[in-house]
Amino acid sequence: MAKELEPSRDGRKRKIRYAMLVDLRRCVGCQSCSVACKSENEVPLGKFRTWVKVIEKGRYPDVSRHFLPSFCNNCAKPICNRNCPVKATYVRDDGIVMVNMHRCIGCMYCMASCPYDVRYINPLRKIVQKCDWCAHRLDAGLLPACVETCLGRALIFGDINDPNSEISQLMSTNPVVTLKPALDTQPHVFYIGADADAMDPTKGIDIDHVHFHEPY
Amino acid sequence: MDVGSQVTVLYNAPHLMPFQLPIAQYFYFTGLSAGSFVISVIAVLGGKVEYKPLGRIGAILAPLCLVLAPLNLLVDMTQPLRAWHLMTYLPGYVNFKSPITYGVILLTVYPISATIYAYFVYSNNHKMSKFFAIIGIPLAIAVHGYTGFILALGKGRALWNTSLMPTLFIVSAMVSGIALMIIMAIVRNVFLMKNATAEERQKDAKLIHGLGGFLGAAIITDMFLLFNAVLVILTSSKEAFEAAHLLLWGKFSMEFIGIEIVLGSLIPLFIVYYPKTKNSFKWLTFASLLTMIGIFAMRFTVVVGGQSVPLH
Repeated sequence: MAKELEPSRDGRKRKIRYAMLVDLRRCVGCQSCSVACKSENEVPLGKFRTWVKVIEKGRYPDVSRHFLPSFCNNCAKPICNRNCPVKATYVRDDGIVMVNMHRCIGCMYCMASCPYDVRYINPLRKIVQKCDWCAHRLDAGLLPACVETCLGRALIFGDINDPNSEISQLMSTNPVVTLKPALDTQPHVFYIGADADAMDPTKGIDIDHVHFHEPY
Repeated sequence: MDVGSQVTVLYNAPHLMPFQLPIAQYFYFTGLSAGSFVISVIAVLGGKVEYKPLGRIGAILAPLCLVLAPLNLLVDMTQPLRAWHLMTYLPGYVNFKSPITYGVILLTVYPISATIYAYFVYSNNHKMSKFFAIIGIPLAIAVHGYTGFILALGKGRALWNTSLMPTLFIVSAMVSGIALMIIMAIVRNVFLMKNATAEERQKDAKLIHGLGGFLGAAIITDMFLLFNAVLVILTSSKEAFEAAHLLLWGKFSMEFIGIEIVLGSLIPLFIVYYPKTKNSFKWLTFASLLTMIGIFAMRFTVVVGGQSVPLH
C-alpha cells in the first residue's frame, strides 16, 4: 500500500492530488471509521472529524436505510483557507487543507464559513481542528486510519492524478457525486451511490428544534 | 407519495455554533460607532453654529463605542493571547484575502483618525476637523461595511451569502447611530443646558426633532433592504428558504418580526412622523430606545439565525 502512494514512481514528475472515494454500495454504517479516527487523532469527547450520518426513509414495507460517511472535503477552492486571517489554514501541495495549531487564534471564522460543518474547536487545545486525511500517516507511507479500518472496503483513498490508482479507475468507471457542488468549493470527497435525502442537510429534521449547543 | 416527508435522521454529528452573542455585540457596537461618526461629520461639514453640539456628541461617541467593540472579539476568541498574530501586517503572516484582515487594518486606522477628529472638534479647529471628517467618512463606512463582508463571504450560510449584506449593515448602523445620538442630545438638552437661554434651548430642540426625521428616513431604508433580503431568500435555494422560515414563522420569528420589525421599526417610525408625538422628547427617547433594541435584535437574528440552518 505504501508504495502505491509514493510520488513519481514511474520516474516522471507528477503532482499528487489526494482524494477520497466513498463507495456506498459497500458501506454498512458500522461507524468504525469514526472510532478509528477518534483513536488515531485523539479527537476529544463529543467532537468528530469523521462520522457517518444515518437516515431512514420510506413507509413500511418500502423502507431503506442510507449512510453518508462524512470527512473534510479538502476542497480545491477551500473557503476556510481564503477566510483564515492568520494563515493558520493552509493547503499542502498534495491538496490537503491543514490547520497549523501554532498559528490558529480561534476566531472560528473558518467554522462559520465552511459549508460542510467539518471543523470543531478542540476543547483541550483551544484551537480549530478538522480531518486532514491523516496527513501524518500519509507522510509515513500509510493510509488514513478510517480507510485502513473500513471493513467493507467502502473507503478508497489515493491520488486522482495517477491514472493507474484504484480511485482513478473507480471514478472513471462509476457515476460519482460530491456534496454541494453548486458552491464551487470543488470538494474532493466523492460518493458512489449517495442518497439525495442523506445529502440534504434540511431533510428529516425539525429545523425549529435542532440543537446547536447554544449558550443562550 | 412524497418520499421526502418520510425521512428520519437517525444519527448525525453537528458541531458547535461558531459565532454567538459576542459577535452580534461586536457588530452592534461598531455599527453604533460608525453611525454616530457619520452624523457628527454631517453636522461638522454642515457648518452651521447650531449643528455644533451634534458634531461634538458624535465625535465622542464614535471612539468610545469602538473601544467596546473589539473587546467582544477578544472574549470570543479561544486563543486571545494570540490576537497579536493579526497585527503583524506582514504578508507572510497575515492573509490579505480575509475580511477579518481588512477589519484589523480598519480597526487600527479608524479609532486613531476618529480620536484626532474628536480632538480637533473639541478644540474648535474648523479646518482640521473638516479635514479629518472627510478622511473619517470612508473609514467609518468601511469599518462597518467590512463586518457585512465577514458574513457575506461565509459561503456556507444561505442567509449571509448575499451581496446585500454590507449595505444592509451600513444602513442599520446609521439607524442605531442616529438613535443613540438622539438620546444623547436629549440628555444634553434636558440636563446640561440649565444655564442656556430659552431661545438656545428651543433651537437645540428643533435640531433634535430634525434628527427624528433623519431616524425615520434611515428606518424606512433599512426596512426596504430587509424586505428585499427576505423576498429573495424566500425564493432562492432550499437552505435560504429554511433561513427565511426561521426568521418569519420559525424559531427566530419573535426576535425578527416581533422585536426588529414591529417594536424596532414600525412603532418608532410612527412616533417620529406622527404630529402629536414627533415633537415630544419623551416619545423621541422611547422611539430611539426601541430602535436600538430592534437593531440589536437584527444583529442577533442575522448572526445566530444564519447559523441555525444545519449544514450537514
